[in-house]
Amino acid sequence: MKKFTLVLLLAFSLPVFAEPVMTDGYAEKTPEATLKAIQKASHKKFPEVKGDGFVNGSLNFNPASVESNKYWTARMNDSFDQPEGYGKSEAEGKKLWETPFANGKKFADCFGHGGKGAANDFPKVDPTTGKVLTFENALNKCLTDNGEKALDYSDMKTMGALSVYARHLSDGMRINIQVKTDKELAAFNRGKEIFYGRTGSADQACAHCHIQHAGDTARTEELSPVIGQAAHFPVYRLDKGTDGLKLVSLQERYKGCQKSTGVEKPIKEGSDASNDLEYFHTYISNGMPLSTGVMRK
Amino acid sequence: MKRMIFIAILGALLLQGCKTAEQKEAKPLEMNPEKLMTSSAAGHGNCLACHAVPSRPELVAGNMGPPFIGMKARFPDIAKLKAAIADQKVFSPDTMMPPFGRNKLLTPEQIDVLAQYIYQY
Ligand code: HEC
Ligand code: HEC
Repeated sequence: MKKFTLVLLLAFSLPVFAEPVMTDGYAEKTPEATLKAIQKASHKKFPEVKGDGFVNGSLNFNPASVESNKYWTARMNDSFDQPEGYGKSEAEGKKLWETPFANGKKFADCFGHGGKGAANDFPKVDPTTGKVLTFENALNKCLTDNGEKALDYSDMKTMGALSVYARHLSDGMRINIQVKTDKELAAFNRGKEIFYGRTGSADQACAHCHIQHAGDTARTEELSPVIGQAAHFPVYRLDKGTDGLKLVSLQERYKGCQKSTGVEKPIKEGSDASNDLEYFHTYISNGMPLSTGVMRK
Repeated sequence: MKRMIFIAILGALLLQGCKTAEQKEAKPLEMNPEKLMTSSAAGHGNCLACHAVPSRPELVAGNMGPPFIGMKARFPDIAKLKAAIADQKVFSPDTMMPPFGRNKLLTPEQIDVLAQYIYQY
C-alpha cells in the first residue's frame, strides 16, 4: 500500500515536459546550433533589423510605437513628472549598492571591477548543485555571505531597484552566457523545453509568438523576436494604476505573457523553473549589448 | 488507504464540477457571432487578435493568421471550417491557434454560429 502511494506521489511530482512546437531552433541538439538557427531565421525574416537593433524589440516594427516610446522615455527621465518611477528606483538602487554592510563591505566587493561587466555574464549555473543562479541570486548571495538578509526577487522597491542600478554598471557590455558543462547543458535544456513547450488553455508556447510569429501583429501589439529580449530588463512599463511608469522584472514579464495566454498557474518569479527559463532565454541574446532600465509599454 | 485516496480524488473532481457549473451560471453563454469573433473578454473567441477581415478594414485586427476572405471557396465543406476552429492543430501541427473545441474555450454551438457567420466573408 505504501508503495502504491509512493508511485502515485512520484507520478505527480515528475517533471512532465509539455509538447514542443517545432519552430526554428527546437530540433537543434546543441546550444550553439539552437542559437544559430534562431539567429539565421531572424536575420532572414527581418533584413531591416541590423545587428544590435534587436534589443529594440517590437519598436522595430511600428513607427507609431517609436514615437510613443520617445514621449514616455522623456517623461520617465523627468523626475518631477514621474517621482515614483524612474528617478526613485535609480536613487534607491544606488543607495542600496553603495551603502556598506554592517561588516563594512559593499556589493562592489563581491563582483570584480566594482560590478562593471558582472551582470552581462548572468545567469550562471552552480557547478555543485546544477541550479541556475540569476544576477539577483548573486546579489542576494553577496548579502547573505556578508551576514545580511536576502531581498525578495519580486520586491521592486528593493531588489528591483538594486538590480536595475547594478545592471546599469554593465550597460553596453555584451551578453555572454556560457553553456559548456553537463550541468549547464541540463539547465539550458530545461529552459528550452519551457520556451518551446505548449501550455495553458490556448496551448501556446513562448516560441509561437517570439519566434514563429515574431514581427507579426497581435491585434495592436507587434511581437518582439526572442533575440535581444533579455538585454534591457528590468524595464519601466506603463502602469494604468498610477498613470505613470513602474519597474518590472524579467521573470514578472514571463508571468504576464503566460497569464495573457490562458496559463492558470504561471511559473512563479524567482523559482527554479523561472530561472531555467531565464538561462535559456538570456543565452539566446548572447552578443547583444546590455541596455537596462529602458521604457517599454 | 486506497479508499481514502479514491474518496479524496472523487471529492476533488466533484468540487471541480461545481465550480464550472457555477461559472456557467454566473454568465450566460455568448451566442452573438459578431461578439464571439471580435471580443477578447473571457468566453469569447477573440479571432480578430490574429485574423483580419479585409472587407471590414474598420475592425482593428492582427495578422498572425490568414485573413477571413474567400471562406466559401477555401472551405467548400463548412464542417471543415468548424473543425479548424475546434482544433487547427489537426491540420497544422505547429499552429499557435487556440484549440477552441478541444480545450472547451467555446461550445460546439458557439463554434457553429461562428463558422456560419465567418462563412459570409
Ligand atoms: C500569444 C502570444 C505570446 C506568447 C505565447 C508569449 N508572449 Fe511574450 N509577448 C507577447 C506580446 C504581445 C508582447 C508585447 C510586445 C512585445 O514586446 O513583443 C510580449 C512581450 C514579451 C517580452 C518583453 C519584450 C520587451 O522587449 O520588453 C518578453 C521578455 C516576453 N514576451 C517573453 C515571453 C516568454 C518567456 C513567453 C513564454 C513563457 C512568452 N513571452 C509568451 C506575446 C506573447
Ligand atoms: C492566437 C492567434 C489566433 C486566434 C486567437 C485565432 N486564430 Fe485562427 N489561425 C491562427 C493561425 C496562426 C492560423 C494559420 C495557420 C496555422 O495553422 O498556424 C489560423 C488558422 C485558422 C483557420 C484556417 C484558415 C485556413 O485558411 O486554413 C480558420 C478557419 C481560423 N483560423 C479561424 C479562427 C476563428 C474563427 C477564430 C476565433 C474563434 C480564430 N481563428 C482565432 C491564429 C489564431
